Amino acid sequence: MRALAKTAYFWKSAVQGVQRTPLIHLLAVITIAIVLLAAGLVRSSVQLLDSLTETIGGDVELTIYLKEGATESDAADVARTLESRTRGSAVVVSPQAALARLRAELRGVGDVLTDLPSNPLPYSVQLRVAPGFRTTDALRSLAAEAKAMPAIQDADYGEEAVARLAAIARAVRYAGLVGFTVIGLATVFIVAATLQLAIYARRDEIEIQKLVGATDRFVKAPFLVEGALQGLVGAALALAALWAFSALVGPRLQLLFAFVLRPGTELSPNPSVAWELLLAGCALGLSGSFVAVGRLLRT
Amino acid sequence: MIQMFHVYKAYANAPPCLSDVTLQIEKGEFVFVTGPSGAGKTTLLKLIFCAERPTDGQVLVEGRNLSRIKSSAIPFLRRNIGVVFQDFKLLTHRTVAENVAFTLHVLGVSKVECEERVRKMLKRVGLAHKADCLPQRLSGGEQQRVVIARALVNEPTILLADEPTGNLDPELTVEIMDLLCGVNVRGTTVVVATHDASLLARYRKRTIRLDGGFVAFDRNELKERVWMAAG
Repeated sequence: MRALAKTAYFWKSAVQGVQRTPLIHLLAVITIAIVLLAAGLVRSSVQLLDSLTETIGGDVELTIYLKEGATESDAADVARTLESRTRGSAVVVSPQAALARLRAELRGVGDVLTDLPSNPLPYSVQLRVAPGFRTTDALRSLAAEAKAMPAIQDADYGEEAVARLAAIARAVRYAGLVGFTVIGLATVFIVAATLQLAIYARRDEIEIQKLVGATDRFVKAPFLVEGALQGLVGAALALAALWAFSALVGPRLQLLFAFVLRPGTELSPNPSVAWELLLAGCALGLSGSFVAVGRLLRT
Repeated sequence: MIQMFHVYKAYANAPPCLSDVTLQIEKGEFVFVTGPSGAGKTTLLKLIFCAERPTDGQVLVEGRNLSRIKSSAIPFLRRNIGVVFQDFKLLTHRTVAENVAFTLHVLGVSKVECEERVRKMLKRVGLAHKADCLPQRLSGGEQQRVVIARALVNEPTILLADEPTGNLDPELTVEIMDLLCGVNVRGTTVVVATHDASLLARYRKRTIRLDGGFVAFDRNELKERVWMAAG
């Protein structure tokens, strides 16, 4: 009963605190909202890059070149082996088909190939891998495995493009994390400074609380509730801004990247991002108020 | 109830404001602490409710040694001590009833019980009809009665009053002092710091006079008269 009465008192006191100094609390809420909006945009960018990596990784086919003199049945054996190994789909490309494709790709200068005394291209197998193999590491190890087979000369999977995109996504993710940590810490101190003004406005109340036997935890609790509320409202504002951003800019981005984005790629914040932002907002608000009240009780 | 043994209190770069104070206040006593400004009256009260710690010596309240008490235990000690100040320390944006209820919120008293206890306490100090007023609408005497109600609502065993009538005219002074005497009659130990000699003459209670931080005298005129009459 006592715990219930105290909890009710903390919430009432927190709401009254917000009502008494609305501008100070608004400042803290806006600060949190801006930081979380930036974090949300970085998070969405990483999601977009991950999607691009996966799309491009999915398009990359592992091309296996057989040794000179290998026959069509050798190529068919290799294709069967790789299909069963990777649960992908493999196509045998004959030297004639490969030459025709090369000629088409070379366009204007392709005619020089007609003067060749013989077709220098070997049999090859184009393997489209299953989703589980669409990572740089998996493709690298599969290529190494294929190269070790007796009939095979070489294997190629466009390693550089996939690795570069994955590296960009990783860099953005780490930069975002470091940036969020630094800005997050700064936000904690900004929120703490604004809350200190609110606490200062209620110093007489705190003095009397201490005088009539309130513990430090009792004094702190309403301010922590205020901090958590600020964080939640800030996160809600950031989410609303992210949704507005995705509604306004999302369709244009989807048009711009239509050729590389996976079908159904959603640019608006999904429920997991929403929860992350709400939790981060709550943590920022709580940390700020914790610092502010800690300073107050030390003095 | 309250014991002090060779208590010293000094602040940095200043002469001691209490020197070698030894005294004992029994349960249910009414004691005036008097002396000129700067004699150490307020400091003495602050030592009792642990707003200050002694530089040297021992202070015992209800058997607890305050020289060694942990900071985390101080709030629980204060729940047994009501404090009244000259400058009231009322929350101006809260009603009279809310000011009195403030003490009960700290104890986690339920809303229904809280309302009932506040109502009874305001009736006791004669302010039941002003429960919904803001403090600035009240006279000085009424404001001081609200402070006394706030100090007593959780039924503390000790009531400390630091110049409770310092801002009041003579008529209101009597009103407040009568209220404090009534509280004492109900069994609460009351310690009043005052420099008002007329109060000491009127109420003839035990008086501890401080001068320059020392106990100049500790006299209970009423007791002395009883002893003399007894022979």
